[in-house]
Amino acid sequence: MSEKTITIDVSKLTPRQTNTKIRYAIDHENVEKIVLENPNAMHYLVNGVIGESQVIIDGSAGYFAGSMVDKLQILIKGNAGWFVGDNMTEGEIIVEGSAGDGAGQGIYGGTVVVKKGVGARTGEIMKNGTIIIGGNSGFMTGIFMMGGKIIILGDVGEDLAESIVNGEIYVLGKIESLGKNAFQMKAKDEDIKELKTILNKYDFNLSNEDYKNFKKIIPQSKRPFFHKKD
Amino acid sequence: MCGIAGIVYKDKKMHNIGNDMTNMLNALQHRGPDSAGFALYGGLGLPDGEYILNIQIDDDNQISDVKNIIQNNSSIAQEEKIPSVDDTIIYRCHVNLDNFKQLKPLITKVDQIDDVIVLNGSHSFEMIKDVGSVLEIANRYDTRSVKGTHAIGHTRFSTESAIDRFHAHPFQTYISEDVTVVHNGQITNYWNIRDPLERKGHIFETFNDTECLVHYIADKLISNYTLEEALEGAVEDMDGPFSFIIGTPNGIGIAKDKLGLRPGVIAENDEKFAIASEEVSLRQVIDTHNVEQISPGEVRVYEI
Repeated sequence: MSEKTITIDVSKLTPRQTNTKIRYAIDHENVEKIVLENPNAMHYLVNGVIGESQVIIDGSAGYFAGSMVDKLQILIKGNAGWFVGDNMTEGEIIVEGSAGDGAGQGIYGGTVVVKKGVGARTGEIMKNGTIIIGGNSGFMTGIFMMGGKIIILGDVGEDLAESIVNGEIYVLGKIESLGKNAFQMKAKDEDIKELKTILNKYDFNLSNEDYKNFKKIIPQSKRPFFHKKD
Repeated sequence: MCGIAGIVYKDKKMHNIGNDMTNMLNALQHRGPDSAGFALYGGLGLPDGEYILNIQIDDDNQISDVKNIIQNNSSIAQEEKIPSVDDTIIYRCHVNLDNFKQLKPLITKVDQIDDVIVLNGSHSFEMIKDVGSVLEIANRYDTRSVKGTHAIGHTRFSTESAIDRFHAHPFQTYISEDVTVVHNGQITNYWNIRDPLERKGHIFETFNDTECLVHYIADKLISNYTLEEALEGAVEDMDGPFSFIIGTPNGIGIAKDKLGLRPGVIAENDEKFAIASEEVSLRQVIDTHNVEQISPGEVRVYEI
């Protein structure tokens, strides 16, 4: 049986109308693939949607694309604005271009992949899940990170993993500086094996030599904000 | 939250800069519904010593008072009236002065007439700003027909001063000729910046924090700093979340706060360099997905 697909032209819709149409198509029409045409960097696209369907945004998305989604497969064919994937719980968001600040902010699970670079505060307060950045990531990447995994194939800005509580960050490029409570070590063999599995899935083809250069950042302490009791 | 935008044509030739900026700002309308403004550079072609004054008046009878003051100090080359949406009129005239230093004293004299406000005086740029939506303002002032080399613009979400034509961005200063600013954010150490500038003789017209930005930059420029150096100084000295674009007769520049709490993206091609709060605005003038995020604390300048 062929896949049930619909196309929505969002050029004359509000974000609320667009999201309502997506939810209706998934909940009541069992649509498996939804293509959003003419997104023109609209904010709040595909927000608060639950389901295992695929949504293709045929262009750039604005702020909060794929926020609070669960189980969806979202492909953004252009760039994404600030806070792509904010608070998603499960599923996958792939951005073919670049993204703004706060990519994957507060995610509880799932995977956010940005093929090019991103702005500042990537993965801020993320609890679980995986964020992969194909290019550079800016200032305070992984700030207040509470779990999960961030993989950066380019360089990162100042204060990487500022006040990190839990989780791990892998960086292939240059690290401008580490934030408070961040500890840098060389990636272990088992880490590299896992990285290969993840990155190959998303067509990031690195050499064995590249994999040896991954730096791993973890918290020095899991309770950075508490002093020891006397 | 405000929207800001800027565009430069790299060949220094005349282009439909008013149409470009109208489209860029219309795409940022959702960031600020209160007012909008344009500083459109390079298309006026005024002879040396000629300046445009845009003056808000309540009724036609005040025009003669305004003209008397101007003609006591200079001569009027051209004049026109632009009807407004409210009960006021914009009286617009070209005046001839011996030099730029005479502009501010003339404006101060005209401002002393009751209910008369000089919105701006300029030589190398067209200032258009008003309350209402971008498209309303564009139709009212025919912004799409303005040609030029570069421009900055703003859509305002008012947070800390009056919603009126005078407080709409861009802001300018008469310390340095034809320097303008559009701003998204707040300057939280406003008085720390304003006090020393006032002691140096800067005259502030409002209590809007954006005004202190343009005075700060102009003060640096007359002290022989480059625009890039002046913007770097602002990043160091200003507190709070901000991104702002400066316009000068030679180009535009943007600065972003050190925590990167306000947005800014850049795109360019062989023909144009453009800055905006959001990609949706850039895409009105450059058809590319190759959009660059401006980093926290970063400064970028494009001069022609």
